[in-house]
Amino acid sequence: MAVASRTSSGPGALQRRGRIRPGDAVLYLVTLAAALSGVVLLALITREVIADAWPAMQKFGLGFLTTQAWGDNNKTLFGAKSFIFGTAVTSLGALLLATPISLAIALFLTELAPRWIRSVVAPLVELLAAIPSVVLGLWGILVLGPFITGTLGPALHGTFGWLPIFSSKPSVGSNMFAAILILTIMIIPIVSSICRELFLGVPSELKDGALALGATRWEVVRGVVFPYARAGIAAALILGLGRAVGEAIAVTQVIGNNVAIHADLFKPGDTLASRIAGQYQGADTALQVASLVYLAVILLVFSLIANLAAQLIVRRVAGRHQMR
Amino acid sequence: MKAFVTRRKRPLAVLSVLGLVAVASVAASVSGAQARSNAGELKGAGSSFVAPLVGVWQQKYEASKGVKISYNPIGSGGGISAITNKTVDFGASDAPLSADQFNACNGCVQIPWALSATSVMYNLNGVKNNLHLTGPIIADIYLGKITNWNNARIKAVNPGVSLPDKDITPVYRSDSSGTSYNFTSYLNTVSRQWKSGIGNGTTVNWPKGVGARGSSGVSGVVSRTEGAIGYVDVAYALQNHLKFAAVQNRSKQWARPGLLGIKAASLADRKFSPTNALSIVNPPPGKKFRKAYPICTYTYVILRLQSNQASLLKPFVTWALTSGQADGPRLKFQPIPKYVRTKGLAAIKRVHS
Repeated sequence: MAVASRTSSGPGALQRRGRIRPGDAVLYLVTLAAALSGVVLLALITREVIADAWPAMQKFGLGFLTTQAWGDNNKTLFGAKSFIFGTAVTSLGALLLATPISLAIALFLTELAPRWIRSVVAPLVELLAAIPSVVLGLWGILVLGPFITGTLGPALHGTFGWLPIFSSKPSVGSNMFAAILILTIMIIPIVSSICRELFLGVPSELKDGALALGATRWEVVRGVVFPYARAGIAAALILGLGRAVGEAIAVTQVIGNNVAIHADLFKPGDTLASRIAGQYQGADTALQVASLVYLAVILLVFSLIANLAAQLIVRRVAGRHQMR
Repeated sequence: MKAFVTRRKRPLAVLSVLGLVAVASVAASVSGAQARSNAGELKGAGSSFVAPLVGVWQQKYEASKGVKISYNPIGSGGGISAITNKTVDFGASDAPLSADQFNACNGCVQIPWALSATSVMYNLNGVKNNLHLTGPIIADIYLGKITNWNNARIKAVNPGVSLPDKDITPVYRSDSSGTSYNFTSYLNTVSRQWKSGIGNGTTVNWPKGVGARGSSGVSGVVSRTEGAIGYVDVAYALQNHLKFAAVQNRSKQWARPGLLGIKAASLADRKFSPTNALSIVNPPPGKKFRKAYPICTYTYVILRLQSNQASLLKPFVTWALTSGQADGPRLKFQPIPKYVRTKGLAAIKRVHS
């Protein structure tokens, strides 16, 4: 709404001034074209993706979502069930691990750390985001994998073996758990750097006021910083989730690429994005290509829902808290 | 104030004009560069299996003929996509084009241009190189029916070898791969259950084990996982000092993926398919194939019949099929037999601009 009214006032404002100034007109046209190109691009991509997926959509219908298969029955049966499961488990698992760590990093860097530590650590955390995902994936195979099979896996299985998610000892480093850890590493810099900016934006009068009333550091964080930044934190987490859902290459390198559904995180699995990245190029049959694009359609719907949810959360939280 | 504002606006306009000019000139120089490179450059992409050989060819061909060959080893599937979408002058694949792929490529021809083997590698501490494995044993490992290295069937073919009590982790290629095609085509010939339940292809629905991306991914996972078994082209296995199995052929001989074994297998298929494909996995028993290694494959170059680069492409592929073969043996590529070369040279003649 607000956006629409602002753009419609653009040319009107130009004319009301009496003459059209070329600079303003150029600026207006350039920005308008940029804004429209985004919308048009999205529409074109959606159209193309659905058109390419159409043969599979026609053949399998919505049953595709609840079928666990990939090239079964002599390459005629495909289904997305295990990939939807894998995507949900790995991205939510990564979010679960990354949230407390990211918040802690952001809090430490804004509220607690001495200035010199802040200036060293903050850029380093952000540098984590600059590691190419293929390199992170390779590290996952060569370093993280053996660490999981050798140390972490047996320890977790020994302590928490009664939980279904750690019910076996990992025999190979490529599994869902490795994918969760890799995704955690990938989303921490995003979430923590956004949260850091948010926390820096908390007015110091509020914090000083709370401190003056005798609040402890933790009470200030809980009572002032978190509530003030709540909407922003929610948005940051959704951004992180989006990154985790869409990440393809690093995940495909470490997840073990198996069409299976296990509660056990030490078993291999696969995600939507990973399957597309792995097999789109050079798929054997036209039906396989269409089925892969059908996975992309599901991924698109996933991201759409995540974005809408984010907007809803941000609006609700911001509405409840009149501070923003 | 108003005057100030307009003055402020002008640099913006000037900047945007400058920007347009810059973009235009960059575009012009890019297209210029392309035009220049068209005088003497061929672009290819695909199979990582054949990449070491193409690497040698690149240097030699540019040195002797002045034509630059660029090659991107993105995997067989990627090569097929690239030539189908006309983003390269030639594609390379270890798996012959499937019917759907051949139709999608619309006016392509594939030519066998190199010949090598897929090795079955394993990671077992303290177990010697060239462990004996039969086809049915390998198939049952990948089917999940043999799950431990001390299985009686593995012991039976390896007398005197002490095999550990260790779970077997089968590792396979998760991306679309010609090596997978070669390997699964072999499993098809040795296991009825494999053929009816899984089948062959550049990707299949593996019932057991874990996937890894690319030859490097598979060998990475195998080398970091005690008890793992995997498959990779023999040149890669040798370069990376991986242990690989001697596989029993149909003459009941234990064959290694060396030049001798590949050469013996190369004559197993003399009948080209309508699309020039040859299948030489698991040659029949007989004196001729006594030494044959059962998991060998031709690897193909894919060309468009109508190519603007035909004048450069035809001499290059002709050279690769003839003089270029001499570079093969030290990379474990056996030179292609004469009847395959003859067929290839005839196919090249059909390419035109």
